[in-house]
Amino acid sequence: MTIDRDRILEVLDKTHSGPVYKERDYNIEVVSKNLKNAVTKYGLEKTADRANPVNMDDDLADRYYQAGFEAAINIGLMCRDTSRVITFNREELQAGIDAAPKEFWLGDGNQRVLYQHRKPEDNKLPVWTVPLSIAVTEDVFLPLVESLARIPQVDALEGPSLETVWGHPLRSGSPYEHLAGRYQADLMREAIKRAGREGMPMDAVGSSTTHYGVLGGYGVPGGYHPKHDLILILSIADFWTSYESLFKLTHASVTGGKYISASSWVMLGGYAGGPEGTAVASVAYTLLMIAAFQGSRTGVPPFDIKYMGNCGRRAQWALGIANQAVSRNTEIVVHSINNQVAGPATKMLLYETLVGMTNLAASGVSNVVGTRSAGGRRTNYLSPLEHQFGGEVYKAAAGISREHANSIANTFIPKYEDMLVEQPDGQSFQECYNVETLEPTAEWQQMYDEVRDEAIQAGLNFP
Amino acid sequence: MTKQYFKRLSDAMITGDEEEAEACVNDAIGAGVDPIMLINKGIQPGMDELGEKFETGEVFLVELILAGDAAKIALNVILPHLSDEDSRSAIKGTVVTATMFGDNHDIGKNLVSAMLSTYGFNVVDAGISAPVREIIEKAESVGADIIAASTLITTSFPYQRQIIRFLNDSGLREKYFVIVGGGPVTPAWTEEIGADGYGRDANDAVTLCQHLMEGDSLPGSLSEPVIIGALGKQLIGR
Repeated sequence: MTIDRDRILEVLDKTHSGPVYKERDYNIEVVSKNLKNAVTKYGLEKTADRANPVNMDDDLADRYYQAGFEAAINIGLMCRDTSRVITFNREELQAGIDAAPKEFWLGDGNQRVLYQHRKPEDNKLPVWTVPLSIAVTEDVFLPLVESLARIPQVDALEGPSLETVWGHPLRSGSPYEHLAGRYQADLMREAIKRAGREGMPMDAVGSSTTHYGVLGGYGVPGGYHPKHDLILILSIADFWTSYESLFKLTHASVTGGKYISASSWVMLGGYAGGPEGTAVASVAYTLLMIAAFQGSRTGVPPFDIKYMGNCGRRAQWALGIANQAVSRNTEIVVHSINNQVAGPATKMLLYETLVGMTNLAASGVSNVVGTRSAGGRRTNYLSPLEHQFGGEVYKAAAGISREHANSIANTFIPKYEDMLVEQPDGQSFQECYNVETLEPTAEWQQMYDEVRDEAIQAGLNFP
Repeated sequence: MTKQYFKRLSDAMITGDEEEAEACVNDAIGAGVDPIMLINKGIQPGMDELGEKFETGEVFLVELILAGDAAKIALNVILPHLSDEDSRSAIKGTVVTATMFGDNHDIGKNLVSAMLSTYGFNVVDAGISAPVREIIEKAESVGADIIAASTLITTSFPYQRQIIRFLNDSGLREKYFVIVGGGPVTPAWTEEIGADGYGRDANDAVTLCQHLMEGDSLPGSLSEPVIIGALGKQLIGR
């Protein structure tokens, strides 16, 4: 598989020929209105079922796909740099979906990983990538990542994000980010080597939100490898993109890259409205990211702006049905993220993980990147134990029914939903782990043991 | 009869109907209704109700934006009929909102902008990935009272600090309150960089701006920043 340069050029041309809109008009008259129209046209109003956070209705999921497909054609992607919308007609959108791989390998040697399409309730093993690009200090980076790479359930690495580069503040959109791209690659490789897992695939580049990190670290000598590693293209929320994202695509092309992670967010409570509009938006934006960025691994999860996470009922419902819609009606490798808000050394973080990961596994998601420890709010607030738990749950849940996942959701959401706004930070890596021995504190270990037992009692078969 | 104008105007806020808002205000003023009462009993109750509906998830960002637009249209008609003193109290202040350089997230900024508009602030949006200098130039050009700087990524933190430094180095610190917010932003960071206030969410931003505008302190002179809506608890063992 290679990245199709002709498709890139077509998309670039569309950024200069598509319809022109002012920002406000696009958001309200194009995005919001078309999502509302799609919800109405396909009879999706008031279908969000808070009592059943994991959807079990295949017909409903399929209607969400149809609504999302139509919304994708009517909305397109707005390029911020040109104020023009990249549009796809029905044939172009479908062609982009059909061209996406059903499976692919990343990594090297005995650490190669198979990313494959999954359907809801599929017993094919999903891929667990850790951690998200949560900021850490330089002294924490290596021991933390080594510890994460040692977790057997972890298949690939993405974050964390560096706060400084050789002691200097890492500033977004600046040459510091360019340096950070290669620096992160070096650190990740060293951590992987210390963990004895050389060849483990990586997603490029956790520390850099703009294209500068990718330019500095991907496809350069010693950097992220175009044949073994994914290039991360994270577009702007709610149907916007930019030259920054497109630069990453062209960089992948010129460096011989093969595999693209194309993703973004939809904001529940924002322009997409409530859970129904958000689920339609998630489907539509996923399909557009495949078409525009030739995504190998693609997904656009919802984010509830009420508490900046997605482990509450309405967000979990939207997360599940949107993923089911795409995984039932395409053969793409679906990617998603469960966004917790509680931090390490809290049971709440583990409960949020249990609910979200079972939903994602049962809804046909092929690859999850996690864990969003402490909502990503605090530097150094992530630890290996919740990442181990996330992988264990995700893989144990491969093959469970949506009914079972829903039962788990209804059992464990009540344990934390009153705390979603309060959001306990928990403890930093240095507080809940011995950084020298890479062992958790007895307190954190006990919490994990207790919640793990609860998960087993809820019917998950841990190895 | 007067009450009907208030209800009509309040409803126009809730539905975001600019034409109806303008027509209602014109009708009411033509009928001799006290213009300041149109704000207090027409616009504000509608905005308050909308704010409650947003909290309960009945309405979303678009409705807030449309309400803010309707309020702006209504105020444009009302203001020339107010005394100078009433005019000054009708507009609570001018706020420049921005997402920091290197950060393309806009939802937080847009939410804060919409909420501030519904509560009577004049909001000027400096956009996303906004360079520090451009934010300050915007504040200068519109005569802002407050600069509201948000970011969702830690690598854009340094730019929030740079706003304060730039203002200090330019001799402009006393002209603008600087408030900060966004997912990873904390009260501790707010204090470290010398910002005037922190709000955890859009509602908090409104409370914060009201507090700063109604107080007697000058920007940059507070002994500690005003913190609204901070998360205080660290729960272990939950």
